[in-house]
Amino acid sequence: MIREMKISLPVQKLAYAIFFVVILSLVRGVTYSVEIGIALEAPMAILALTFCADTYTQEIVSRRSEVQRLYPMKKRVRAVYRRILVQELFLLALAIGGYGLFFLFQNPGTAGMGQDGLDSEMCRFLIYVAAIAVTLLFWGILSTLLACLFRNMWIGIGGCLLLWVLTNSSMGDRYLGRWNLFSYTYRSLENSGDPGWICGKIVCICIAVTAAAVLPEIIEKRG
Amino acid sequence: MGIRIEDLTVTFKNKVAAIDHADLEIPKGIFGLLGENGAGKTTLMRVLTTVLSPTGGTVTLDGIPYREGNYDKIRRKIGYLPQEIDLYPGLSVQECLEYMGNLSGLSKQTARERIDYYLEKTSLSAHRRKKMRQLSGGMKRRVGLVQALLNEPEFLIVDEPTTGLDPEERIRIRNLLVDFSEGRTVLFSTHVVEDLAATCNQLAVMKKGKFLYAGSMRELLEQAEGHIWTCKAKDETTARELERKYHVSSKQYRGSELQIRLISELHPEIVCSPCEATLEDAYIYIANKK
Repeated sequence: MIREMKISLPVQKLAYAIFFVVILSLVRGVTYSVEIGIALEAPMAILALTFCADTYTQEIVSRRSEVQRLYPMKKRVRAVYRRILVQELFLLALAIGGYGLFFLFQNPGTAGMGQDGLDSEMCRFLIYVAAIAVTLLFWGILSTLLACLFRNMWIGIGGCLLLWVLTNSSMGDRYLGRWNLFSYTYRSLENSGDPGWICGKIVCICIAVTAAAVLPEIIEKRG
Repeated sequence: MGIRIEDLTVTFKNKVAAIDHADLEIPKGIFGLLGENGAGKTTLMRVLTTVLSPTGGTVTLDGIPYREGNYDKIRRKIGYLPQEIDLYPGLSVQECLEYMGNLSGLSKQTARERIDYYLEKTSLSAHRRKKMRQLSGGMKRRVGLVQALLNEPEFLIVDEPTTGLDPEERIRIRNLLVDFSEGRTVLFSTHVVEDLAATCNQLAVMKKGKFLYAGSMRELLEQAEGHIWTCKAKDETTARELERKYHVSSKQYRGSELQIRLISELHPEIVCSPCEATLEDAYIYIANKK
């Protein structure tokens, strides 16, 4: 696992990801803490899709994939999954840290919140962690898949960005509603007890699981 | 058994035939593949390592035909060093080789033992803690070769392994390949003629996707015998005149005169004497024979 960390988390990637979250927490204004999740979800999705696009394509660019074709498929796939896991865990930690940075830099209000139940600060934070984990997983795996399919990191990033633009919009919200990939961002803040937005996250999980299942086949076929 | 190639054709999407109806048999031992840049050597190696599927023809390795269902069996028998490979820059030499050994299915213990052995053989032991990005081009090439040897494959395919190496390193790598070839097949592709002269008995010459020659080194030299000439030119103008008319394999100042080696099917129309062919002469003779 340490080697996977060294391979998929080089210093420059760590640096730009941390820089991105720090800048975001400084420039994206929030008034109430309930807005932090909304402020973070879509930008973190962009970070995940760019961050994970080179998970396997770095093997293609460096020609290591030509040697790895000779290795057992199981080992190769396990290594790719481990790299995705390492990157996703890092991004999740960063997303959690980013949540804290918003508090640190902007000291948002917590007005209108209860001390317990779904309105408590801790509960909102835990819901955010669950939602952002699914978001990161989805965009990370999708960009890895597209990049592998087309053997090009930029197509992975570009394809995902297109989907990001379509779904992270009022049009996406209008047509997809609670099934939108960004359902957490577009949920109703007034009615925080409505769990309808979970549908969108279930869609994300289903697509991510399918993508993860198809990934070995694509790596084998596309090398 | 070795590798048998029959009527092999590889045509790219742009209709360029990188390999054009080629036939070849590669026996056990070290086998050289010689050819100019773009001759099709790398394409051939990519086919043999299953990176590329041929457009036509058949290839067998130890009697196993190259087809989808047999690829796993074939891949287990092969070690490969591509022409260009950039091994993990953020890992140390030891980590990189252990990682690749592990991916290839070796146990940790076996991988470590073999890494120690081959790092020693390639004089890299002292550099095992260095990051890959800190190594010189020649060192990276040697680490690349070690990764190809780690599995101790029955068929080792190396694409220009001596590129970027200094003379001592080249000799070391050549000797390592010769030692390794005992009881195995090593396909050694290069355009450095002297590397082949020092290692192989058997070789093939490729040009524009075709094999111009395949056989023993001795027979290749015999074919060129009687077509290599040496002569003297008084000045550079005369030398240039000769270069226009004939293939010149070497040109050297000897005092005030230029000594020139010419390759010509017939006796050149100047004062010259026949001389013994080197592999380089023979290669140029074969490559330019009409």
